[in-house]
Amino acid sequence: MLSADFVIATAIAYVGLLFVLAYFGDRRARANKRSWLNSSAVYTLSISVYCTSWTFYGAVGNAARSGLEFLTIYLGPTIVFVGWYFLLRRLVRISHIHRITSVADLLSSRFGKSSRLGVLVTCIAVIGIAPYIALQLKAVTSSIQAVAGSSEFGQGSLKGIDDVGLALGVAAAMALFTILFGTRHVDAKEQHHGVVAAIAFEAVVKLAALVAVGVFVVFIGGGFEGIFAQAAARGVVVDTSASFDSRWVTTMVLSIAAIVCLPRQFQVTVVENSDENHLRTAGWAFPAYMLLMSIFILPIAVYGLTVMPADANPDMFALTLPLAAGQNGLALFAFIGGFSSATSMIILESIALSIMVSNHIIMPLVLRFSPAPQYGDGQGVSRVLLVARRFSIMLILSLGFFYFFFTRDSDALAPIGLISFTAIAQFFPALLAAIFWRDASLNAVSTAIFVGFVIWAWCCFLPSFESVSPTVSLLLAEGPAGISWLRPEAMFGLDGWDPLAHAAFWSLSANIVILTLGSLITTPSVLERIQATAFVDVFRRRNVPQMSLVPGSATANDLYFVAERVLGEKRAASLFEAAARDRGVDPVLFEPTPEFVGRLERELAGSIGAASAHVMLSKVVGGGDVSLEEMMQMADETQQVIEYSQELEKTSSELRLTAQKLEDANAQLRELDSQKDEFLSQVSHEVRTPMTSIRSFSEILLDSEGLDDGQRQRFVSTIHQESLRLTKLLDEILDLSALERGERSWENRPVDADAALDRALLVCDALLRQRGMRVDHGERSGMTMVEGDADRLCQVFINLISNAVKYNDSSAPVVRITSSIRGGDFVAEVADNGPGIAKSERKLIFEKFSRGKRGSVDQAGAGLGLAISRQIVTRMSGSLELAQSALPGACFRLRLPVVRQ
Amino acid sequence: MFILTVGGLFALLPPVVYIFNHDTSVFGVPQIVFYLFGVWLLLIAATAGLTRLVRPEQDAKFEVDEG
Repeated sequence: MLSADFVIATAIAYVGLLFVLAYFGDRRARANKRSWLNSSAVYTLSISVYCTSWTFYGAVGNAARSGLEFLTIYLGPTIVFVGWYFLLRRLVRISHIHRITSVADLLSSRFGKSSRLGVLVTCIAVIGIAPYIALQLKAVTSSIQAVAGSSEFGQGSLKGIDDVGLALGVAAAMALFTILFGTRHVDAKEQHHGVVAAIAFEAVVKLAALVAVGVFVVFIGGGFEGIFAQAAARGVVVDTSASFDSRWVTTMVLSIAAIVCLPRQFQVTVVENSDENHLRTAGWAFPAYMLLMSIFILPIAVYGLTVMPADANPDMFALTLPLAAGQNGLALFAFIGGFSSATSMIILESIALSIMVSNHIIMPLVLRFSPAPQYGDGQGVSRVLLVARRFSIMLILSLGFFYFFFTRDSDALAPIGLISFTAIAQFFPALLAAIFWRDASLNAVSTAIFVGFVIWAWCCFLPSFESVSPTVSLLLAEGPAGISWLRPEAMFGLDGWDPLAHAAFWSLSANIVILTLGSLITTPSVLERIQATAFVDVFRRRNVPQMSLVPGSATANDLYFVAERVLGEKRAASLFEAAARDRGVDPVLFEPTPEFVGRLERELAGSIGAASAHVMLSKVVGGGDVSLEEMMQMADETQQVIEYSQELEKTSSELRLTAQKLEDANAQLRELDSQKDEFLSQVSHEVRTPMTSIRSFSEILLDSEGLDDGQRQRFVSTIHQESLRLTKLLDEILDLSALERGERSWENRPVDADAALDRALLVCDALLRQRGMRVDHGERSGMTMVEGDADRLCQVFINLISNAVKYNDSSAPVVRITSSIRGGDFVAEVADNGPGIAKSERKLIFEKFSRGKRGSVDQAGAGLGLAISRQIVTRMSGSLELAQSALPGACFRLRLPVVRQ
Repeated sequence: MFILTVGGLFALLPPVVYIFNHDTSVFGVPQIVFYLFGVWLLLIAATAGLTRLVRPEQDAKFEVDEG
């Protein structure tokens, strides 16, 4: 039997273990910067602080009450982490560059280092998180009572203490514990390695506990199938028909916002991140963790509904099922798991919130009411900060406790958590705008968040007090002063909606609309514009002008004084010495530069937040506004120069491209020109040879009289042959130029292309035989009608075949003829095994006056054949080109569109 | 990765979830439960696979300051 005393003692011992772990984790992280504490596994596990006792107890209860809805709380974050590359990576990068310490710091820093916005966000976060803290207190209290209530003598020293007293005790213990844990010193960058180590350990404990309970339940329930079958037999059905309504969408959206904006999630995911690449692991490992966490929730809930009495609290099934089965060891483990999930949440959440409170509310107050640069007493700002944080932690836990006190009658855990989620979701539009939208402005964002918060308080927060306050319940029923369209759960007559969906819809819609419209009509200040560029373009430009303060009258001594107060003597000294060393001057003679002031501001921001750091340094430096304008101008000029040079680069690369093209064209022209010269001399030669023989033979005929008839006859026929050759050459030239000028036209009519190919083969038969050339008949298309002129087509084929013969110097010459129909085209190919066409000639082969240089036998042609052929084919709307073929030589492919019958 | 994010959201919201919300069982588990966990697992696996393809960030380590 478990007694309450024993359980409490175990819990305290467990906390002690955590403390030891945190202490050594801190020491180890300090001693060795590359320790396993900086690994991505620890990082991922620490993110799982998302799974609180809401998951451990509340999700089971939620599953028992409303089916699958609990899954959305984990599916939303899954989507965010699956897309880590877009949102989280950006947030982490921005936060590291600007030394961001919290969501409030991020927003205030982005929107002109505004203290006002920081205060607003901090207040909303503190109030909004109160229900969430209350949830943890309630869960821990209920779990202790569930254990103690299971036996008659188990009450032990708890006898006579009601749940409020117990919750007060838990809250006080937690506050003490968190103060001991998280506020021992002010970190330079608000990283708490020890705490993170403890949180990672707790993540393992709670996962192991829930899985152990899950496996146990599945085991005694006879497997997944058995559990569902038993449940069905008992009339317990997981009703999913109504699951996917507006509430499903709402909780999904809220959880997406929460995983980014919840103060503790921002703390572990963004602020505690020490290596951007850890996100790569967390991107899939954290969803996997949540999957493991939730895989047994449904079976536990269903089995609990099946076997437990009807009045049992479904939130406590994870604890009461093992107890009912007499498994006290397992129940204790489950209790420790639930306790783990609650403590890790409370510790981190209150640390994160206390940083926000001290940096954004207390620090500005201290700065305002103390004349610069004297801050308090001896130890300076860091002491003030620590005290402030301790008080904030107590305040936060008290708020949580009071919320618990006022709403203790409501029984379910999950709805309480969703109230907090809705409040925190009000930051999400502003956060997205902060890092993606340059034009978002401070006034719009502040108003949007404020209005969203007011609507939340009215529609979501207020109704949760319904059970304790008659005024509130009257308000819910009648509306304020009887104005029914202002009823908190039915605004503007939107009645009958789920209250959560209703509140989320109104608050987020108003938030987004005000943010968008407001940003469009307001003009951001100079500092806002600088910060907007630095945030939105974080991946585009490495060296964004960062700083806006110019040292002016400030001496190194003044600055050192400030730095020492906040950062401590050691760090301040090392910072100044490093800066002096970089400038190559003696530390005593060091004069602060604008860059140095910028660096100093970022360092200070890491401890006290951007807005406070800015105010603090402005006080010392003075004259900030004038230099701000100057800096902005400089930034604008720099940007202009960058854009101008980018434009120049683009233009010059375009010019380079054009020059290259021109060069190519020129080379082609030169090639053509030389070809033409060559051709002209060739033509002259060709013309001269027959002319010479014609002249000499006719001279012989004129002079010599002693010629017999036979000789005379032979000479005359030679003259005739030579003049035929001449005419043919001249005909070809005329033909081509006429074709080119479009003078020689014919009417295209359907003709059988394959028959033309056959005819060409027949004509070339003699030529082929003479050369001993083998004709390799490939696949043939058969009768195919194309638009064209049969004779001209035949002429093209003859030209191709005779080229294949003429230029072939192979010892066993082969010409391969194929034709087919491909993609609606008649395609004929004439390939040979000759020398082929050199790469350099391929471009020119279809030009006039161009002849292949290779080929040994007879190159008597004028180099016009292919040019003419191409002209003809083009006229028939086809194409003639070089192709790849199986044979080593050239391959010409003719393509003509087939006529549709 | 963008497609994965948007696609994941699409698959988990109405009306697409309705397609798999029938009163039948797969291996004794309601079909919709099977579907949701299936999509979830698929998203995890695809992200793990895709992340391998994205080049790790150089110079992404941030110095751990001493307190």
